[in-house]
Amino acid sequence: MAKIKPADLDRIKAAHQDDGKDWIKVGMSTCGIAAGADKVYEAFVEEIKKRNLDIQIKKCGCQGMCYSEPSVEVRVKGMPDVIYGKVDKEGVMKILDKHVCGNALVKDAIYELRTKR
Amino acid sequence: MGQTIVFIKDTGLEGDRTKDFYAAFLNLLRENSLEEKAQVVRVADIGIYNQGLVVKFPEKDVTYVKVGEEDLKEVVAKTVKEGKVIDRLLFKEEPKQLRIVLRNCGEIDPENIDEYIAKDGYRALAKVLKDYKPADVIEELKKSGLRGRGGAGFPTWLKWKLTHETQDTQKYMICNADEGDPGAYMDRGVLEGDPHSVLEGLIIAGYTIGASQGYFYVRAEYPLAVERVEKALKQAYDYGFLGKNILGSNFSFDIDIRLGAGAFVCGEETALIASIEGRRGTPRPRPPYPSVKGLWDKPTAINNVETLANIAPIILKGGNWYSSIGTEKSKGTKVFALTGKVKNSGLVEVPMGITLREIVFDIGGGMLSDKGIKAIQTGGPSGGVIPKEYLDTPVDYENLQKLGSIMGSGGMIVMDEDDCMVDIAKFYLGFCVDESCGKCVPCRIGGYQMLSVLNKITESQGQIEDLDKLKRIALAMQKASLCALGQTAANPVISTIRYFEEEYRDHIVNKKCRSHKCKHLLNYNVIQDRCKRCRVCVINCPVNAISGDKEKGFFVDPKTCVRCGKCFEVCKFNAIAKE
Repeated sequence: MAKIKPADLDRIKAAHQDDGKDWIKVGMSTCGIAAGADKVYEAFVEEIKKRNLDIQIKKCGCQGMCYSEPSVEVRVKGMPDVIYGKVDKEGVMKILDKHVCGNALVKDAIYELRTKR
Repeated sequence: MGQTIVFIKDTGLEGDRTKDFYAAFLNLLRENSLEEKAQVVRVADIGIYNQGLVVKFPEKDVTYVKVGEEDLKEVVAKTVKEGKVIDRLLFKEEPKQLRIVLRNCGEIDPENIDEYIAKDGYRALAKVLKDYKPADVIEELKKSGLRGRGGAGFPTWLKWKLTHETQDTQKYMICNADEGDPGAYMDRGVLEGDPHSVLEGLIIAGYTIGASQGYFYVRAEYPLAVERVEKALKQAYDYGFLGKNILGSNFSFDIDIRLGAGAFVCGEETALIASIEGRRGTPRPRPPYPSVKGLWDKPTAINNVETLANIAPIILKGGNWYSSIGTEKSKGTKVFALTGKVKNSGLVEVPMGITLREIVFDIGGGMLSDKGIKAIQTGGPSGGVIPKEYLDTPVDYENLQKLGSIMGSGGMIVMDEDDCMVDIAKFYLGFCVDESCGKCVPCRIGGYQMLSVLNKITESQGQIEDLDKLKRIALAMQKASLCALGQTAANPVISTIRYFEEEYRDHIVNKKCRSHKCKHLLNYNVIQDRCKRCRVCVINCPVNAISGDKEKGFFVDPKTCVRCGKCFEVCKFNAIAKE
């Protein structure tokens, strides 16, 4: 990688702007991993591949909601951004079945509502 | 599609009736033939507490609170059907949290530098290298009023100025990530969630004080944080944010990682320096301060992780912006690790000046159990407890100190009536006794002596003179210890005596622990009315302290009983009394 110049900061920023695509973000800090976030992440990767879904899966740090780890933020076009808490394998299925494929949010599992961006 | 989404959650004090409201809401929709138009979602947490039924329309950014059953009809008829807002029910409070340090935590991939750059990362560094002289950075920081977040609250600008002004060809910049307070993990959260924000602050600090070499001193117990910092360093080198002629300027800076081997005292700056030098991690008397004579006797500045994570936003948005947040003497925000008997434990970042009550009840969601709040412990083993009477105190450095505690690095442990204050004091003091490096006498021997007095008290051997003895030794430790560990080790004891002397006296005079924590002061008895004579307790007692027969009933012999609590656990009829 070539050393970057100050002007390159703008270029990198522009390249990483929100492209309107759907994504799922799993909180992968110590608190999340201790609660099983790595298994949740793997489950998402596997299921998304199996179902051939057009959704990105990403990792992020701790959102601060350690009481509800593993937490998963979901962005699907046309739906509000929400963070699901205490997600397990069953939760992964529900999120994919309902939220991602069915345009219906999963009940009793949302722990934080992100403001609409 | 085109559905209105409605979130509902009952946040009332009397049980959670979300499901009832949900059913009622669905019925109303059906009656009005609006099932297709709205999607009602029960949520597990809506971020608002003790406000009755909360109904939220995320697309409209409308939140109703204290919605009664009779109001639901109106909500459906007006807001769902016609899209009108009902002013009477609106919730107008601003969000309590303000995220500066945690701005990217949970947002970006911590292992991808591009995502950090996309959030304006390294822009502050570019700005500093292009337009700022070191003195300008110091000036901006002075305006911001930022104070060290490691605990003591020393003005960051002054620390940098002193180090900057010291004349030497070689200077060092250190990031202190040796977070060790029990129950505190703010720095871990930042390092794991957004390592580049700390790194950027560290590079700017290095530029300002005139250092060419920096160190990340991270405790080895944080393997994931270490891994992410290592990756961040590598990426920063690849991009040229580290190394020679950073971003085309004349400034060159290198950073290495040093791992702490698990000694709490190495969070103290002179001990930390000794540890990096490869010597045994013990403190030395100050002055000379590290700004004059630090690492390898060269001028050195040491800043905490959270302090450094504040630097880039201050440079980008200006010191005046930062100082507009917070109280008169404590500016900006503080990250707390909210733990203990609170519903929503986790990391919170709040502006200085918020009250403890707001943190615990509005952000933390209130108490975990139905037992009332008793006190809040802040500042870890160097801090103290703040009783519930002071919950409305605005949080800043000065106020917490007045209450006999400290801001500390940001641990905040909520305690309820089940927590025994003598036991808490014993726990924290025990921690410091374990972690004392043993170099100076007041800390090494004072701590040990205080701990034995506390042990005596909790083992029913306490005498009333012991309270004075504790205070006397505490004073000697405060005045004569070499470093902050010893000087503050007695704080948890002193502050619990200050607010809960009654409880100490109960232990000493009445030989009672009202929280049932100190097992030597407990007695287990069989409640005869409830006892079904099933003999489960008899069978499970490891020392055969329970005897009797089915006619006369069973009895615990206090002399044989070892207070293990097994009988209490196994009795299905709650027929064992613990008092």
